[in-house]
Amino acid sequence: MNMAIVVKNLIHNYGDTAILKNLSFSIQKGDFFIIIGPNGSGKTTLMKTMSGILKVQNGLLEVMGRPIKTYSRKALGRTIAYVPQTMQADFPFTTREVVLMGRSPYLGMLGLEQKADHEIARKAMAFTEVESLADRKLDQLSGGERQRVFIARAICQEPQIMLLDEPTASLDLAHQVKIMDLMEELKEQKQITVVMVSHDVNLAAMYGDRLLLLKQGKIVTLGKPDNVLTYQTLEETYGCTLLVDESPLGKFPRVSLVPRKALDPSKKAGNHT
Amino acid sequence: MNTQTPALLRRLLAVSFLLSLFLFMAIILGISIGSTKSGIRSVLQSLLGGEASDSMASTIIWQLRFPRVLLAGLVGATLSLGGLVFQAILRNPLAEPYILGISGGAAVGAILGILLGFSRFIGVSLFAFAGSAGTLLMILVMSSGQTILKKDSLLLSGVMVNAFCSAIIMFLLSLTQDSRLHNIIFWLMGDLSMLDIRHVGILAGLIFPCFIIVFWQSHSMNLLLLGKEMAQSMGVNIRAVTLILLITTSFMVSTTVSQVGLLGFVGLVIPHLLRLLLGPDHRILVPSCIIGGAAYMIICDLLARVLPQQGEMPAGVITAMIGAPMFIFLLKRSGK
Amino acid sequence: MKKPVSRRRDHHNSFSSQLPIGKDDAICPFLMKEIRHTPIRDPNRRFKFTYLAIPLLVVLGVFFATEKLCLALQVTDQLGRTVTLSDNPQRIIAMAPSITEIIFALGQEHRLKGVTRFSDFPSEALLLPKVGSYVHLDLEKIVALKPDLCLAVKDGNPIEVIQRLESLKIPVYAVNPTNFTSVMQAVVKIGELLDATGKANRLVRSMNSRIQHVKSLVVKTTHRPRVFFQIGINPIVGVGTRTFIHELIVLAGGRNLSEGPIPYPRFSREQILGLSPEIFIITSMAREKTFDKIKADWDRWPDMPAVRSNRMFVVDSNLFDRPTPRLVDGLEVLVKLIHPELFEEKR
Repeated sequence: MNMAIVVKNLIHNYGDTAILKNLSFSIQKGDFFIIIGPNGSGKTTLMKTMSGILKVQNGLLEVMGRPIKTYSRKALGRTIAYVPQTMQADFPFTTREVVLMGRSPYLGMLGLEQKADHEIARKAMAFTEVESLADRKLDQLSGGERQRVFIARAICQEPQIMLLDEPTASLDLAHQVKIMDLMEELKEQKQITVVMVSHDVNLAAMYGDRLLLLKQGKIVTLGKPDNVLTYQTLEETYGCTLLVDESPLGKFPRVSLVPRKALDPSKKAGNHT
Repeated sequence: MNTQTPALLRRLLAVSFLLSLFLFMAIILGISIGSTKSGIRSVLQSLLGGEASDSMASTIIWQLRFPRVLLAGLVGATLSLGGLVFQAILRNPLAEPYILGISGGAAVGAILGILLGFSRFIGVSLFAFAGSAGTLLMILVMSSGQTILKKDSLLLSGVMVNAFCSAIIMFLLSLTQDSRLHNIIFWLMGDLSMLDIRHVGILAGLIFPCFIIVFWQSHSMNLLLLGKEMAQSMGVNIRAVTLILLITTSFMVSTTVSQVGLLGFVGLVIPHLLRLLLGPDHRILVPSCIIGGAAYMIICDLLARVLPQQGEMPAGVITAMIGAPMFIFLLKRSGK
Repeated sequence: MKKPVSRRRDHHNSFSSQLPIGKDDAICPFLMKEIRHTPIRDPNRRFKFTYLAIPLLVVLGVFFATEKLCLALQVTDQLGRTVTLSDNPQRIIAMAPSITEIIFALGQEHRLKGVTRFSDFPSEALLLPKVGSYVHLDLEKIVALKPDLCLAVKDGNPIEVIQRLESLKIPVYAVNPTNFTSVMQAVVKIGELLDATGKANRLVRSMNSRIQHVKSLVVKTTHRPRVFFQIGINPIVGVGTRTFIHELIVLAGGRNLSEGPIPYPRFSREQILGLSPEIFIITSMAREKTFDKIKADWDRWPDMPAVRSNRMFVVDSNLFDRPTPRLVDGLEVLVKLIHPELFEEKR
């Protein structure tokens, strides 16, 4: 029962198109698990299936040792928190109101929040440093601030697993690092299993305990960043020339794009410096 | 109330109390004023009874004005709540209670009923209700290729059905030449004068359970507004909630429309107004729309009865003429 | 000659033995004494008085009795509804301009307390309180006038209003005049209700005789001109068989070109030109100016017989679409327009 999520022979089709083709893998508890891969590899579909939004068409999905089907919606909400890529902000909820909504899986019919719920929300907002924005309307916040609000909401669900779909897309550099650091803190302080989809291979390399590389609905490879991010694997998967070396910031690989001018025969085409 | 009473409940009670006061005043005004000016004093006299009370004034107040005021309140509450619910389900601030073809279907049904010679209660009402039920069914079928979750398909189907019904209505209008044309036009403009207290009672009996069901789902509506995936991941059964709200709201709006015709604008302006004043939490907005919408409609109907020198204006004209400027003013104040 | 009082008392025992006077005196003196001492009374007069008193008492009794029972009357109206009302209604509301006209024609306007908005004939009706229009009645105003009878028309008054009035215990009597016969029946019925039967009968007889006169004139004609009667300007609307105007046209010796099952059929200009009307009549819903414009419009088609012979006329619409005795006025106007030759001959 070490596994947060177990996936066996997962197949998912949209109409006639096969999106996920017989996936099998498992995510350990407390892991920072990052899913990477080119566009169209089925990352978002996989996320939605793992969070219970899409029904399992074929195969097995176990959350915390139980098949996902055995969870009631609210029970699932107490176990998994999902942060999608984009969120609508049509209606002017305040930060506090949005974060409080994260308590819904624990509340009754009308969702009447007690003092304890307000306290949990306050702590969550403090954790993601949005407490000062508590009474501001959502559409008045910047992208980065809004993302932190949604994460605070997810924290309020007191989940064991947090699923985030490309949380750093469209964020500026400062906020990207902030979010990732936040996730690491969550993992270490609250023992939450963090499962993330990312398009940024380097962020994945810096933070991920284990990476899953997907291509066209199939697993290319799964393992530690060092093992996954080799130049052969990456060049085959992404179909472009890449430079992979060790990052000066720590014991993880660094992947660099190679512009055409660098491929000049006058320069050395090397993989290791 | 224990010390742990959630802040929300306290706020809800305060808001409801204030609005109820406003509603009470509206009712008193509504039964005191009419085309034969009786005044508040005669209302009090009539209530306190005794030989001093004029029986004709009593008849006018209690048998003519009181049912009408109650009906106006009920209609205002239903349409405002309907607008609020559709804005939540469709996640679109332009949504209003007629948007899913209810107005078109009801109008076509009612016109057919009038042309066939039926009287308002029961004949024309049943036809109108059948019409709106029919269009709703049509829309659900048309957008069922996608799931009901696809809000855009619901919206588009509704708009198309309403447009189609408008064409049918114009065609039927062009055919009619005699006094039935009057009946049809009064129905289309909305007419609160035709029901007596028994009918109002029946209507209330049908609609109050709908209010309760909608209030029960008010937290779910909050979550729905964050996006359907978010809501689902937080424990909301999107399909069930959407269906329950859709059917309940369509039922109560259809029932209302089939009795009083098409009173417009209330369902659009009141939810937005109250949202500007009270915030987007539906647990507060649902009761507020019910009470506030009722008061608003009573006042508008009162003005519609009293302002014109001859006869009365359609109440729908007043709801638009007052509601629009009020809304723009509040919008500017809130600094959008 | 005075006799002692005791004598009078004695007369109870025997007349002849007590009285010292002769036989003749025995009876007569007593009587004569009685007569002399009491005022002279004519026995017949006493009888006459009794004869008068009894029927008077009966009449008074009935009067007071019916005062208490004044809602005793139950009638059936022209829609087959049973209506309970007082036999002498004093506060009447006329729920259509035609009813107002009829009530004035019967001379019963003193009972009329409220009329609808377009009750404009006779002009005295304009001074009466208004209760809304006949398709949109103001219940409050009606109730405030405390009526004991409302007179309604089937074509126009909404049934819901009638029902509300009845639920407020206000009697509503409905008429349904659709042709001359039923108009006259309505006049008679209303006359009965308002205790003006004599006037009603006279009115109806006069209507009948005027209609008969027109019929007798028309019988002498040989040709029924084709008439187009336009009641709507845009679109062009004619009159079908089930209208008053159709009946008038036929009685006036014309042929209604727009006859048919549709009460108010629509025509395009082409269709009318195809029908080739000899007489074109427009009702004055529009003002005089518009009539000139309409005439000018049609003048562009000189092929139309009505244009060629310049037989385009405007008439007062109120004579033609209200179910009142003035329909006969309308008939007379029509016959002069359709068969002017009948009147030229007279001169």
